[in-house]
Amino acid sequence: MLATLLQALVSGLAIGGVYALLALSFSITFTTTRTLNFAQGEFIGVGAFLGVTLLYLLAPGEGGSFSALAPVAAEGGRYPVAAAAAGAALGALGLLLFLAAIRPFAGKPGMSWVMSTIGFGIILQSLGLAVWGPAPVNMPSPFGDGVIRLGGAGVRPQEVAVLVVAVLLMLALDITLRRTRLGKAMRAVAHDPAVAALMGIPVTAIMLGAFALSSALAGLGGVLVAPIASASLFMGMGIALKAFSGAILGGLDNPRGCIFGGFALGLLESGVALWQAQWREIAVFLIIILVLAIRPNGIFGRRALDKV
Amino acid sequence: MLEVVDASVAYGPIEAVSGLSIRVEPGQVVAIVGANGAGKTTLMKAIAGILPLAAGRILLEGRDITAMPAHRRVAAGLALSPEGRQVFPDQSVRDNLELGAWCRDLRPAALEAAIEEQYALFPRLRERRDQMAVTLSGGEQQMLAIARALMARPRVLLLDEPSLGLAPLVIREIFAIIRGLRARGITVLLVEQMANLALGIADHAYVLETGRVTLSGSGAALLQHPQVRAAYLGAGH
Repeated sequence: MLATLLQALVSGLAIGGVYALLALSFSITFTTTRTLNFAQGEFIGVGAFLGVTLLYLLAPGEGGSFSALAPVAAEGGRYPVAAAAAGAALGALGLLLFLAAIRPFAGKPGMSWVMSTIGFGIILQSLGLAVWGPAPVNMPSPFGDGVIRLGGAGVRPQEVAVLVVAVLLMLALDITLRRTRLGKAMRAVAHDPAVAALMGIPVTAIMLGAFALSSALAGLGGVLVAPIASASLFMGMGIALKAFSGAILGGLDNPRGCIFGGFALGLLESGVALWQAQWREIAVFLIIILVLAIRPNGIFGRRALDKV
Repeated sequence: MLEVVDASVAYGPIEAVSGLSIRVEPGQVVAIVGANGAGKTTLMKAIAGILPLAAGRILLEGRDITAMPAHRRVAAGLALSPEGRQVFPDQSVRDNLELGAWCRDLRPAALEAAIEEQYALFPRLRERRDQMAVTLSGGEQQMLAIARALMARPRVLLLDEPSLGLAPLVIREIFAIIRGLRARGITVLLVEQMANLALGIADHAYVLETGRVTLSGSGAALLQHPQVRAAYLGAGH
């Protein structure tokens, strides 16, 4: 019993770490531009496939076929290289998304940016399907497929790695936002772009940077999760939706709240799955709806009154 | 130093400022007075670059900055302490000051020295340096907004309604600070509803009515002007 609980705890923390990272990515664009990238799910899938492709290209011959890469393909530092490259590539794609789907509509009445980012995601997914096909592919973990025994519980090393990387990234982002010149400027833009411009802060550049960062996190998230599940162009939808729910739960305008919300969702999910796997989604979303009924701006979200 | 030539600013079909010209000479305190809705804040926003001109030009030290985006005007030498103070509420006093110097891209030691300079000018801010700006009183927030604008080392400091919503004693304190800035040779363009206070410290002043300059002259002369006394200072003051 204890072993099962421990196992659920580790799995919940691992997937919660991914949700938290992506919840933070939603918060980053929302606070700086009041818009969200609804293509974030597709960005995750494309990030994962870019990662697989890079592993395949970096390990010619010895890595096996594209759809079934051998574990050796992820070894020798290739996995971190692929993760970083996928993050960078998606970051660049985020710049394009901002210029094509956000900038023309941001700050204007209406919600055109919702449609334009969804459309951007659909185009991206279709292009991905044309290049990689619809079948999911296996991405090897750099730590192999073995299972670590931890007090009777079987834990996959990739799960631990995901958690560690997610936590390190979030710590780095938290420090960046609070302590660095760039982070303070981002928070200034988040508060009021016009007043930030009065400080001499190049507001558009900051917004571009926010989208690049947010998209890079999606790409990285895809490469982190792919070895646990498998890489698929459809894998991101569920993850992005859960991450978004986590962000709403914690408070979209509060980065730390988003991190909390992501972890809470991951733990909730694996906790309920212990009891009845098929009740997982129902229980999770019922709880979210209940929490939002009591606190509409999320648990740590700013109350609307404070904004006056 | 700063020159606005035939400027018009419109919100859709409504002109808030029309064909307005003003001049600010180096070292002067120039005041713009007028009733609520006369277009004073609109003019300041246009000078700072967060509202576009529909017509006319803005020159800073002879250079045409009409098309320059707001954030680059700060580096060019204009810093605005906006109406309603607009400090960053969730950042500390110190970080607000740091953000004011964004365009100077200072090294850490130079940044600390620049912040120290403001603390020397506004000792109250030193006491509150680690507090979030939202916890400051209105007067302290106004001091922070002025200090933050000064952090950019502007050629012309733009002050929009520094007395707004403050108690009389605090207003007196803020105006003493503005007088101090003038003594240090800082060029100031001041927009103010409290006409008597603004005219009292202005080398030159303009009276704005429905987006146009209706009177101009030295601060002392306008204080004595019957039209100004009747409209803005109240009879018998």
